[in-house]
Amino acid sequence: MTDLDLLALHGLAVKKAGGPEAVAAILGADEAGVAAALEAAVEAGRAAGAKGTFMVTPAGREWLDERYPEAFADFRADPAGTETYERFERINRALLELFTDWQMMPSGGGERVPNDHSDADYDHGIVDRLGAQHERAEKVIDRFAELQPRMSVYRERLDEAHDKTLAGDLDFVSGVRIDSYHTVWFELHEDLLRMLGREREEAP
Amino acid sequence: MTAVADRVVVLDGATVPSREVVGNKGRSIAWMLSLGLPVPPALCLPIDECRRFHAAGGELEDEAWSSVLAGVTGLEEKLGREFGGGEHPLLVSVRSGAAVSMPGMMDTVLNLGITDDVEAALGRLSGDEAFARSTHNRFIHQFGQTVLGADIEEPGEDATPGETREAVRRDTGEEVPGDPHEQLRAVISTVFGSWSSRRAKTYRRHWGISEEGGTAVIVQAMVFGNLGEDSGTGVLFSRNPLSGHPEPYGEWLAKGQGEDVVSGTHDPLPLDALASQMPEAHERLLEAAKLLEREHGDVQDIEFTVERGNLYLLQTRSAKRSPLAAVRAAVDLADEGAIDHQEAVCRVSAEQLATVLAPRLSKEVTAGAEIVARGVAACPGVAGGRAVSDSEAAEADEGGAVLVRPTTSPEDVSGMIAARAVVTERGGSTSHAAVVTRALGRPSVVGVGDGVTDGLVGRELTVDGSAGVVYAGVLPTEEVDPTEIPGLSELIEWARELSPVEVVDEAPGAVDLDAEGVMIDEGAPDPEALAERLRGAAAARGSVLASAEGARALIAAGVPKLERLPGQPTAALLLRLAQEKANLEEEKQT
Repeated sequence: MTDLDLLALHGLAVKKAGGPEAVAAILGADEAGVAAALEAAVEAGRAAGAKGTFMVTPAGREWLDERYPEAFADFRADPAGTETYERFERINRALLELFTDWQMMPSGGGERVPNDHSDADYDHGIVDRLGAQHERAEKVIDRFAELQPRMSVYRERLDEAHDKTLAGDLDFVSGVRIDSYHTVWFELHEDLLRMLGREREEAP
Repeated sequence: MTAVADRVVVLDGATVPSREVVGNKGRSIAWMLSLGLPVPPALCLPIDECRRFHAAGGELEDEAWSSVLAGVTGLEEKLGREFGGGEHPLLVSVRSGAAVSMPGMMDTVLNLGITDDVEAALGRLSGDEAFARSTHNRFIHQFGQTVLGADIEEPGEDATPGETREAVRRDTGEEVPGDPHEQLRAVISTVFGSWSSRRAKTYRRHWGISEEGGTAVIVQAMVFGNLGEDSGTGVLFSRNPLSGHPEPYGEWLAKGQGEDVVSGTHDPLPLDALASQMPEAHERLLEAAKLLEREHGDVQDIEFTVERGNLYLLQTRSAKRSPLAAVRAAVDLADEGAIDHQEAVCRVSAEQLATVLAPRLSKEVTAGAEIVARGVAACPGVAGGRAVSDSEAAEADEGGAVLVRPTTSPEDVSGMIAARAVVTERGGSTSHAAVVTRALGRPSVVGVGDGVTDGLVGRELTVDGSAGVVYAGVLPTEEVDPTEIPGLSELIEWARELSPVEVVDEAPGAVDLDAEGVMIDEGAPDPEALAERLRGAAAARGSVLASAEGARALIAAGVPKLERLPGQPTAALLLRLAQEKANLEEEKQT
């Protein structure tokens, strides 16, 4: 087993389903190497795939869960990692609130209605808030990248999504089928939770 | 000419400077004062000063700073208060204000001018030491964040200003200055500096906005609603935002301050309470609301504070309103002559109309129905089907299932797309399930409680995502009677008069876009390609024609008739057509 065997399957678990290209993109790794690792995972029964799209099998999940504690022992034990994760959680809470405001806007009398994006000022204000959170997030990802260098890939992907929102492509705030800010953030969160062996905290 | 007149504009309403000089916010304050409305006094460092700041290498010039000091003295004299001390201290807010609003600009610093002594004075004036301490804390936190770039937790209830200062120092290695004048100068510099923040520059590059502009800075006196019995704060809508009824509607919180009304931590009283407590302030407020509504031609949402019997308007904007109120207010404003029929038709979005017309569960049906779960209403709408516990089953169920899960993750998105509605056990209005269902428009109820969904799998359910309730069985939904909605028939009639395309139930020989495979999908259709396809047609039908792009294509192609499909409400089609005609005319003019 190589590091890439573990990482490629981990990347696929974060991505849920995808091909070598998508997994390589979130790992910041070489695509050919990831493709070979995923093929090997299929042979070992840890992944299933057809036509270049793979998914982790239940056996693959168990295999990952067994290996995580050792593979990321240093990361888990590092107080800097824990402290940075707490900063991450603060931004996460602010972002979840922001995504809600993006989709549901206050109407008269304190009710919330779906945002139909007809109020440019309202949307503008939220894109601005996203930018402020993005600036906080950049610092936190830089700290993670000192401990796990591949995390800097998330910074680039978030930067790209944020840049598209600034350019007026508002689907990139929380669109579900594209690499929107929400999509990438969710993958980053999933990636961290798996490495750190934590549970997702749902909003109250 | 005084120094003040040279480098700082006093916003007193004697003149209304243009937005190119004082920015949007500055102009709005001057404009309200020029109408004789009570607004806390303010001064403005004009946009020119931002250019000088950058030309000087990111320094506020001494002449400009002397003008600010003179301006602050003017505010002190006008209000009989003292900046940075005294028994009646003056606190100010500092805001940015460009001619065009832009991401990346430093937004607001509140409560500037507070020190340990001022905190004590504010505690005596309000009789509330905890409030004075929390005001001090919030200032240090906000200054730390915006000026020094600190990333620290909001100070808690028991935090002392010393502790908050220490948290800023630990995070940034820098000190929040203790002298209010030094603080003011630092905040003004931060606002000007934010004009060339990375984010603002990126935005300008994307939108081709010149680097030559700048932002103004507004320094405005703060007023407090908690300084004794004859003070308070509130919100006034010039019409009822729920029903659209043309009567002012609002809330009043005696001895309340700032966010107290909006935050929901206090129980405000109806506006009548202000009328009986301070009839003069109440009357003045209603006059102001009427005036602002007439000047803006739209329903206003006004935040106000009464400080020791003096009314101040803090903010006015177009009011958010329920879909029902949007219809009624648009028609009433047109009947009153404030706007024309075309403007009224444009005031109601197709989504609002769809919500007004959406099928719902009648009281009779819900009264007899078994409630199987209650949770947070996360995405409005009503839908029913058989409950399934995973995405594969949801995708396999062709009739449309209800996906019920303990919680959802990105793995479940394909199932959420396939499902007609979603229910989760855990999470609130910001959970993954809530966020994704709203993006997809699937009715959802989240946070129904651990273990609840186990008993639901395999049963037929109806999810009311507007009420946050899940019922047993697939319940019949009820159509809305349009004649019972005030203003709706007038609005539809005006849309019919304005629409260049007639909407009919049957048009033999209509071009059938669905049959040709031109269907609505994730992306917006291309109106020009559609118009090309429709040119010369005597009539057309298709799911894609219910969209704004479809309406635009019909008008551009000169198609005289649109045949309505089942499920496409005539009213919504007419509204889209009338709105797109207005948009096309406006585009032609510019």
